[in-house]
Amino acid sequence: MTSPMLDVGLHERRRNRRMQDPQYRAAYEQAARELAQTDAVIRQLDSLRADLGISKAELARRVNRNASSVRRLFTASQVRPELPLIAALADALGAELRVVPRSTEARRAVREHGRPRRVADTG
Amino acid sequence: MPPPRDRGQRRWHGQDADEQLPWAIVYYQAPDGTVPALEFLDGCPGTIDAQFTAVLDAVAAAPPPRFSGGGKWEAMHATMGGWYEIRLTEPGREQLRLFCLLENGTSDELARRGLPRPAIAVIPDMRKPWRTVFSERDYQRVRELGGEHQQNYPRRIAT
Repeated sequence: MTSPMLDVGLHERRRNRRMQDPQYRAAYEQAARELAQTDAVIRQLDSLRADLGISKAELARRVNRNASSVRRLFTASQVRPELPLIAALADALGAELRVVPRSTEARRAVREHGRPRRVADTG
Repeated sequence: MPPPRDRGQRRWHGQDADEQLPWAIVYYQAPDGTVPALEFLDGCPGTIDAQFTAVLDAVAAAPPPRFSGGGKWEAMHATMGGWYEIRLTEPGREQLRLFCLLENGTSDELARRGLPRPAIAVIPDMRKPWRTVFSERDYQRVRELGGEHQQNYPRRIAT
């Protein structure tokens, strides 16, 4: 039996309202950037692994870790990915980690305002 | 008994993989009308609320198994199998958690739940001091609320 369709827009309305507060918006955007960066690194590693046809278990063996630690990393089962593990995996996949400075303008904004310029307008 | 696993692999019928809308984010409402997760977020400092919201939005945009978690979203195990948690630490080092269930399935099943599309259901919160652990009793309370949520057709959510 089909139920009456619910209004599922409360979260979005609440977020849009809260984003009117500059401090809230700054915290949201900072968190979103951090999440996106972490997610991108993990996804890229998993993509490299898949392209090379290496199983998670085999990759774990190559970096002397147990298979579950690598599986957890790629399946949202490890809240704090360890940088040494990430670096070891990158190395085992023929890649390396780099910190890439953003544009000069972005760095100037950090110097002058203590945070990057807004990169997304979600609200 | 843990709730049925709803990991997101099952395709939501009626939508092409490349055209997926973000999942909805809904908040469980208790029988007395309270909404534990929203009351928790409203009581948090704005910056913490913003971080929880950013995690929810990131997961909704790339639901499991696509999203790696970004370091703040974790699939739970054992007696909490089927649950996900968002983990943040307050500046005072208090540990804050939001517990979520995934609402996914065929379009008929979603319609039965009253949901226009798959959703992340945010159920309760928990907090604890630094370097302490939640007890099984704490988790039992979370599971009871989740079980209550899943018994409702349509779901009882804050609107």
